Amino acid sequence: MDVIKVENLAKSYGELEVLKNISFSVRKGEVLAILGPSGSGKSTLLRAITHLETAQTGTIEVCGQRMLDAGTYADKATLREVLLKLGLVFQDFNLFPHFSVLRNVTEAQERVLGRGRIESANIARSLLAKMGLEDKAEAYPCELSGGQKQRVSIARALALDPEILFFDEPTSALDPELTGEILKVLRSLAAEKMTMVIVTHEMAFARDVADRAIFMDGGVIVEEGPARELIGAPKSERTQAFLKRFLS
Amino acid sequence: MKRLLCVALCLAAFSAASFAADTSLKAVQDKGKLILGLDDSFPPMGYRNDDNEIVGYDIDLAKEATKRLGLKLVLQPIDWNAKEQELNTGKIDCIWNGFTITDEREKAMSFTKPYLKNAQVVVVKKDSGYTSLASLKGKKVGLQAGSSAADALASAKDFRASLKDVIEFKDNLTALMDLEAKGVDAVVMDLIVANDNIKRSGKPYVVLDESLAPENYGVGFRKGDLALRDAIQVTLEAMAKDGTIAKISTKWFGKDISVVGK
Amino acid sequence: MTKMLWAMLGGSLVSIEIFFLTLAISVPLALPIALGRMSKNRWVSAPVNLYILVMRGTPLILQIIFVYFAPYYLFKASYDRFTAVIVAFAVNYAAYFAEIYRGGIESIAKGQYEAAKVLGFTKSDTFFRIVLPQVVKRILPASANEVITLVKDTALAQTIGVAELFRVAQNASARQFSTLPIFVAGAFYFVMNWVVSACFARFERKLAYYS
Repeated sequence: MDVIKVENLAKSYGELEVLKNISFSVRKGEVLAILGPSGSGKSTLLRAITHLETAQTGTIEVCGQRMLDAGTYADKATLREVLLKLGLVFQDFNLFPHFSVLRNVTEAQERVLGRGRIESANIARSLLAKMGLEDKAEAYPCELSGGQKQRVSIARALALDPEILFFDEPTSALDPELTGEILKVLRSLAAEKMTMVIVTHEMAFARDVADRAIFMDGGVIVEEGPARELIGAPKSERTQAFLKRFLS
Repeated sequence: MKRLLCVALCLAAFSAASFAADTSLKAVQDKGKLILGLDDSFPPMGYRNDDNEIVGYDIDLAKEATKRLGLKLVLQPIDWNAKEQELNTGKIDCIWNGFTITDEREKAMSFTKPYLKNAQVVVVKKDSGYTSLASLKGKKVGLQAGSSAADALASAKDFRASLKDVIEFKDNLTALMDLEAKGVDAVVMDLIVANDNIKRSGKPYVVLDESLAPENYGVGFRKGDLALRDAIQVTLEAMAKDGTIAKISTKWFGKDISVVGK
Repeated sequence: MTKMLWAMLGGSLVSIEIFFLTLAISVPLALPIALGRMSKNRWVSAPVNLYILVMRGTPLILQIIFVYFAPYYLFKASYDRFTAVIVAFAVNYAAYFAEIYRGGIESIAKGQYEAAKVLGFTKSDTFFRIVLPQVVKRILPASANEVITLVKDTALAQTIGVAELFRVAQNASARQFSTLPIFVAGAFYFVMNWVVSACFARFERKLAYYS
């Protein structure tokens, strides 16, 4: 079943059209990779679906609920319900620097989901253990490496049991050596059948781990298809040109 | 007893004779207190002693006068520059602080008759060699801002014109400090205050023989507060008659220099 | 000498009273002012901006005189000196603190707001639990400056006859014909500000657990 359905989504900043008539869907348990050059609108697309940006026209449906219906946004309560089903991991981590690692993962559980302190802490610790960071629970983000921060960021998003996890270039801010640890985490999440939408430049990773891929350029979807096919043997010329730079 | 009777009779007469609209005395009596506004760093008229209490010639006069009128005396230190506002907005009832009667001030408020003679004089350092107003040509002179020293200097046109600069200070002490530091060559101030200062400080200052303007001290009230003013005036005259003022004057100046009722 | 010191201590107590009352009012008051200044609604931000401009653009001594005397001329109303001093100081310092808060709030990265939003935090939780604690740490140095200035500004209260430390020193000077009391008062101010600086250093150390 489709957990995400996007139809005719369009967004402009004044005169500048950044998303033009975008339509695609994502199935439950699927991993979708979104590729494209900078300025292609892939981050904007992610941010539009997670309601960090607003679109002017189109429809966005998440788990059967319409966030945006032909240009009209749903009411606050519905938007909130939808938002709670989504998790977003940022390129720049955006951890809360004044909270410990543990508190970064428990705070939203307690304040947003209303979980008790002990329950939240337990869930947090097990997620951090999964990320290999159980001994960093009392540390502060400023003491961690980029890779560790991103892993905390993923734990923080997972702690709220989202249906779908979005990743906006999760490894782009990391040193190459640290990229591997994040990709490892993403692989294991994919193996657990977590529905994920990942904007990335890691082509090899996308080809191996994603089920489907979308190539965007200039605000439109140029090509989409099974990840192995699109990245291994792209059909469109533009896709080929883009991938050549990465894969050669 | 005779004193009180005399005062009471005079008060009654004045109250009856006052315009029905002048409620100034009644207002103060209803409050039970008279608020006296002063610059509390103006020895010997009104200043703070070592125990930080406000004392001075004017204070002693005011204490006795208000006692006789059955009022409590409240001493309110104010910024001298703001004295007119303090009076007009009712925050104080009178200004009694070596307050010089000038034509301009008479337009803005109601004064008692003079109770002390004063003059604006020029204070210089002993070793400065200045002996006359003419010798200060091209020199700098200091004075307290908002004081009658400024008025006296303004009306001594030739003298004023001959000066290089006139510098205004917040109070006389600061002006005198500048005199000592040679920031100014002379200070224009009240004779009575200068004498007290020189006597108590022992500093090498000298008052020039040539004075600028003779003046009189009076107590200032809001314009139109005639009933209140007259009550104080009557009381002061009674105090002069029975020798109280002579005693106070001797205490502060060594002799009776008061001009009340004279 | 001892009498003078006691008198100065009494004056210092008045100065300290002004200090604490001003902070107690202006520090909280500055927050809604800062938010008003940052409001997208011009009907809110324009008047607030004007108020901040006037408060920072005119001398405090002038504001004290205005707050004390103007009500009489405008409404025939009168109130006591000490209250006038507190009103003038609080309203003035709230403007300065508001700009400090605004600077701190605007320096918080947009990503913090976005992460909070995506996690589902309410606007109120986002501001009070995520943003404000970070702002406090950032504005400590600038706030310390303001607080130290306040200690010294209390000397202006004598403009409308409030007997604080500096006035006591000036009176002692007039009486003793010496400037020594002024320097002693200087020592008092120095000690008060030394305490303030030490407190702020302590705050900064406490918040240094993260950077």
